[in-house]
Amino acid sequence: MGKEQQQSYWRSLNELAQNEEYKKFAEREFPENATELSDGVSRRNFLQIMGASVALAGLSACRKPVQKIMPYTRQPEHMVPGQPLYYASAIPFRGNLTGIVVETHEGRPTKIEGNDLHPESGGRTNSRQQAAILELYDQDRSRRVRRNGSESTWNNFIDFCRDHFAEPGRNIAFICEANSSPTLQRLRQQAMSRFPNARWVSYEACNEDSLYSGIAMAFGERLRPLYHLDNARITVSLDDDFMQESDNNVRYIGDFAGSRAVSSPDDEPARLYVAESNYSLTGSNADHRLRIKSSEIPQFVYALAARLSEQIDGLDAFSGHSNSFSGHSWISVLAEELIRNRGQSLVTAGAEHHAGVHAAVAAINLALGNAGETVEYLEVPHLENDDQNQAMRDLASDMRNGNVDTAVIIGANPVYTAPSDLDFAGALEQVSTSLHLSLHYDETSRACDWHVHRAHFLETWGDGYSFSGVRSVIQPMIQPLFDGKSEIEFLHALLQGEEDSGYNLVRETWSDFIPDNFESGWNRVLHDGQQEETRFTAAAVSLAPGFGEQIATVLEQTEAIPDEAVELVIKPDPKLHDGRFANNGWLQELPDPMTKITWDNVALLSPNTAERIGVPPTRKFGDPKMEVIRITTESGRQAEIAAWVLPGHADNSITTYTGYGRQQIGRVADQVGVNTYPLRTDENRLFHHQVQVTTVGRTYEIASTQDHHSLEGRPHVQEADLDYYRENPTFAQDAVYVPGVKEDREHPVSLFSDQKFPAREPQWGMTIDLNSCIGCGVCTIACQAENNIPVIGKREVRRGREMHWIRTDRYFSGDERENPKVMHQPVPCMHCDNAPCEQVCPVAATTHSDDGLNQMTYNRCIGTRYCANNCPFKVRRFNFFNYTREYLTTGDDPEIIQMAMNPDVTVRFRGVMEKCTYCVQRISRAKIETKNETGDSIKPPDGTVKTACQQACPANAINFGDISDEHSIVSTEKRRDRNYMMLEELNIRPRTSYLAKIRNPNREIS
Amino acid sequence: MSQNTETVPDNRLVKGDHDFASITKLISDIPQERTPLWWYIAFGVSNIVLAVMIAMVVWLVWEGIGVWGLNNPVGWGWDITNFVWWVGIGHAGTLISAILFLFRQGWRTAINRFAEAMTIFAVMCAGLFPAIHVGRLWTIYWIFPLPNSMQLWPNFNSPLLWDVFAVFTYLVVSTLFWYVGLVPDLATMRDKVKGRISKLVYGTFALGWTGGNRQWQHYEKAYMILAGLATPLVLSVHTIVSFDFAVSIIPGWHTTIFPPYFVAGAVFSGFAMVLSLMIITRKLYGLEDIMTVDHIEKMNIIILVTGNMVGFAYVMEFFIAWYGGVEYEKFAFINRAFGPYAWAYWIMVTCNVVAPQFFWVKKFRRSIALTFALSIVINIGMWFERFVITVTSLAQDFLPSSWGYFSPTYVDVLTYVGTFGLFFTCFLLFLRFLPMVAIAEVKGVMPQADPAYYRSQNGNTKSTDDS
Repeated sequence: MGKEQQQSYWRSLNELAQNEEYKKFAEREFPENATELSDGVSRRNFLQIMGASVALAGLSACRKPVQKIMPYTRQPEHMVPGQPLYYASAIPFRGNLTGIVVETHEGRPTKIEGNDLHPESGGRTNSRQQAAILELYDQDRSRRVRRNGSESTWNNFIDFCRDHFAEPGRNIAFICEANSSPTLQRLRQQAMSRFPNARWVSYEACNEDSLYSGIAMAFGERLRPLYHLDNARITVSLDDDFMQESDNNVRYIGDFAGSRAVSSPDDEPARLYVAESNYSLTGSNADHRLRIKSSEIPQFVYALAARLSEQIDGLDAFSGHSNSFSGHSWISVLAEELIRNRGQSLVTAGAEHHAGVHAAVAAINLALGNAGETVEYLEVPHLENDDQNQAMRDLASDMRNGNVDTAVIIGANPVYTAPSDLDFAGALEQVSTSLHLSLHYDETSRACDWHVHRAHFLETWGDGYSFSGVRSVIQPMIQPLFDGKSEIEFLHALLQGEEDSGYNLVRETWSDFIPDNFESGWNRVLHDGQQEETRFTAAAVSLAPGFGEQIATVLEQTEAIPDEAVELVIKPDPKLHDGRFANNGWLQELPDPMTKITWDNVALLSPNTAERIGVPPTRKFGDPKMEVIRITTESGRQAEIAAWVLPGHADNSITTYTGYGRQQIGRVADQVGVNTYPLRTDENRLFHHQVQVTTVGRTYEIASTQDHHSLEGRPHVQEADLDYYRENPTFAQDAVYVPGVKEDREHPVSLFSDQKFPAREPQWGMTIDLNSCIGCGVCTIACQAENNIPVIGKREVRRGREMHWIRTDRYFSGDERENPKVMHQPVPCMHCDNAPCEQVCPVAATTHSDDGLNQMTYNRCIGTRYCANNCPFKVRRFNFFNYTREYLTTGDDPEIIQMAMNPDVTVRFRGVMEKCTYCVQRISRAKIETKNETGDSIKPPDGTVKTACQQACPANAINFGDISDEHSIVSTEKRRDRNYMMLEELNIRPRTSYLAKIRNPNREIS
Repeated sequence: MSQNTETVPDNRLVKGDHDFASITKLISDIPQERTPLWWYIAFGVSNIVLAVMIAMVVWLVWEGIGVWGLNNPVGWGWDITNFVWWVGIGHAGTLISAILFLFRQGWRTAINRFAEAMTIFAVMCAGLFPAIHVGRLWTIYWIFPLPNSMQLWPNFNSPLLWDVFAVFTYLVVSTLFWYVGLVPDLATMRDKVKGRISKLVYGTFALGWTGGNRQWQHYEKAYMILAGLATPLVLSVHTIVSFDFAVSIIPGWHTTIFPPYFVAGAVFSGFAMVLSLMIITRKLYGLEDIMTVDHIEKMNIIILVTGNMVGFAYVMEFFIAWYGGVEYEKFAFINRAFGPYAWAYWIMVTCNVVAPQFFWVKKFRRSIALTFALSIVINIGMWFERFVITVTSLAQDFLPSSWGYFSPTYVDVLTYVGTFGLFFTCFLLFLRFLPMVAIAEVKGVMPQADPAYYRSQNGNTKSTDDS
């Protein structure tokens, strides 16, 4: 897809239409009638027109708006109107690519799915990846080059660069977000050789430098650990939320879920231990969880290493060390478990913990024989050789001292995200020339002389490596909507003073990777979305010579943490990360997996700590008002933020997330939440040992999608310990008594005659394996993307009107002052055979199809909401306002967001009910294709219909298919002993059933 | 007849020194007199409140159901609460005119016209809510079984459809019944009024009534048949309204006791509303001789009976929730009494169960001030009963994750308040232009109507008042 071929893409419906009327309209400054008003004759004309248009307005108000569309005159190859095309590409995040497949409709990308061939995706995605499509169609992305805030052009920028960078002696600082692109690395080398005084800093607000430094301390090299959770019998996570925060979380979640799969009572699921302060997503999936402060993690690791050193070799550096955790019951249990599972165990620690922690963890994994088995240490060529946090620190001071004359900031937003004590904004003022490439006109753009609007990865060519080193090309799906430039085009223009397309730049780089038969190799890479047999090499690791001394220093420096000190932990937001996704409505409205909060960040604390600070330890049901607290660090930096009591959080610890409190970024991001970056300093990236916390005496409204957090002993979520399950394999089915079922009747008797399902139709059904589900919420975003679900905003969510078709319920059980367990349960429409909603609709707008779907006919719905009232699962969603219209027609260019819509799915008008359809559009497409292929059958082969939630789920928790086919996967799943139907006793006969969760606790602890 | 027995005569239904002519004059003069100042004030206020209601409805239709406080678990809030409340109030009229007519309760004559008018206006207010509560008002005619080329019919399984038929039938029959009863009195008005236009209007609606023997015979038969038709409706309307809830599967709604419980509650609130209105009206128009304290006492007895039926139903619901052993049902009722809506529940119990107990005491039954106060209290209580049933059951049902809390918005509140504007606008027009007491029927229960009266009293019309 070179420059020559790109004309067939268009930016808006009007541009596509390009009819005479539109051209005239675009050329005229004022609409037709406005200028004619000035002379008297045409005033009559005006009145006539007004009369007519008022009459027409009256008519058109009763009808749907009419838009003209035009057919292709030269139809692109493979393009069949109405048929989507799928292209492989890759999605970059913090320098790591994940393979994706993009669904495009008539030249516009509408949905992202995982790439089956790609090892880091395996056909699965996470919520950030699902939401990237909305980022592409973000109207608030920057649309133009700016110089000192006023509009400029790309050509002006190139001219400027040609002059400015002609001087090779300049002191240039390149600050680039983490990037693995070989093309960018090539350009970087060019830059560094052109400018001897230049330096390059790879900057990420939340990075893994501490992890690499720790591994360098242990093994002498900066290596990337790649976990193989599928090989691990025992995993110990120390404040490491790898299911949420890892760049490789799609793969990790899949491996983790696979390692815990239970298909019969004989299976031996793996076990997960988590010690952490915040109640994280990973923690909620642990078999055992220890609440400790993040600041206590170092002591915990050293105590564990010391205990292990008593029994195994390789940890001599720690022997004899003792601290307050040495006597802790967990240390002896973990030591025993790890040694018992040598070579099949894994210890991980949160990336931003002190290097010493990572050194200890690496040494433990090595000593246990896990290296090469459950963890590989990869040599990553593009990784910087020195600590980039230190590099950033040095750079900031050099900038402040005037030793840098030009700052080139690529992608990153350091003015907003850099540690507050670096005062990056102040340092940037001392730099005479600053250039910034970014998607949004953000904090850093405002502080820079030049801003260049960046192209989205779905719009440009690029390349890079995945987490494990698979090399991929990023293919554009559409011409840049706002003529943005990619980082390689930007850097190239800057260096060469002339423009070149990303296509040429990437191909030039790849000519080295595909030495012979380039075109066919290139096409192969584009087709597959990856280059075969590329991977980083795993290093053979051994302890570095100076390890003992370094550890000795670390152990000496470890200070005891006073029990009563309240620590503050600052973590990247599970949804917005460091803030880069702040203008993404889908992510903002996705309930946080643990708190179910949308549109805000809060200070998470335990009930005990809340009480200590003066915050009510329990929330009043239905009251959105949360107490606001003021957090003051040792250096006097303050933030006021709403407190949220999270049962299971460590005592005397507060967790907050970054990425909120933005100003002038976009209509979604602005004024949402509190900016917590001022609290984050270079020294205290992850946590402050001690902060002052007081209540402020005011409250703040938080929109949470779940008000009640206990199951009240109800049997909706079935779970058991492994031992109990082995004794009672059918415990989940036996949990409720259903009259008739025990007596070998299929169903209890119903007042209505049973629907007869014809044999020629497939019978759709779904299973959701609660043992696999980790509760991440990607199903919600995937469904939102697939089914055109609008974003409704904080006010409406607070009123309990969220529109998500599939939600993830989260329940706590156990003592909420101590360490409650958490259960996650995704709930879509159950498609009951005997559906209560269908019986009460007065106009028969919701009915049953022959293939067993509970259908919703939007056109017939008059909106009594009776169906929603009578739905025991409360999965029906009502359009209280014209949400879709607000969502799709606000802003200057509503047509941009409209392009994100899936043309196969109707958008819903206000006043109608909607709900999960089992992705009926996908079912219909598959049925039509099957009929075309076979001539008569309308039963698609098993596995051809995947619902959006199923396809996205990294844990493979959802299965969907034909339950009348006893060989289908879903039928097999439904025959498992753990299978149960929620609220089966109501005789509603749901088609969606659950598989009970099995926990694998260690008998010695519990 | 034994010498040892004695018949205790009922108190006379019409007090004071009245003969047929004075009764006619008393009632038929009211529309002919100068309109009193208080009427203008009351009518003005009612109109303003009505305008508020119209504004709220327009805003609702313009913006969407979201202007109400409804949310995801609570799909019905004040809308259906108000609907059931107004329908309940609309029960008294037909009960008084039809059932008491069939039971030959002469005292009904003093209040039946008045109560029937109230019924019609209350049902109008009630009917508003199901109409405007739908998301797409412009398609509401789809609930009627209208033949169409798509062969699309409504879902006859749905209680909401039954409800439409029930309420609509009730409105039609009540209006017919009221109008048939009005015909002789409209003729009286026609004969009394001076103005040509009013003569024409009253005359048109009097359908040429002359009071002839044949006419009376037809009239009495028609009235009897309509009473027979209306009687089952009194029971059916609220039975079917209760089906909206009882046929669903939501704990707290799915209850077989609902039909009798709803009917009792409806009579309870309807009588309370009649009392509230009557006590003011009889004072304003000086009708104490016709609407006597005896009437008030009789109505208070019905309130006491139905109030205790309602109270019994409250207890029974709890018993069955426990006895049935269904976990969700148990929770629903315990949650009502002690959950987030406990305040509403205890208001309901206080107003509906505790308040009527005063009427065990004769002195209280005959106290006009207390009756008036309690009639208001009872209607507040009955509103809360419907609120408790509708909202608390929805707010916390099967899945604890979905539990929510409903808070009304100003639109909810003003729409409800606004329906009083509609109600009182209609009611004041009724008071002003129509004979508010059934003149002909009241005469029928006076001693003078007894064919033996003049003979026994020798033509002496002087009565012996015993109170």
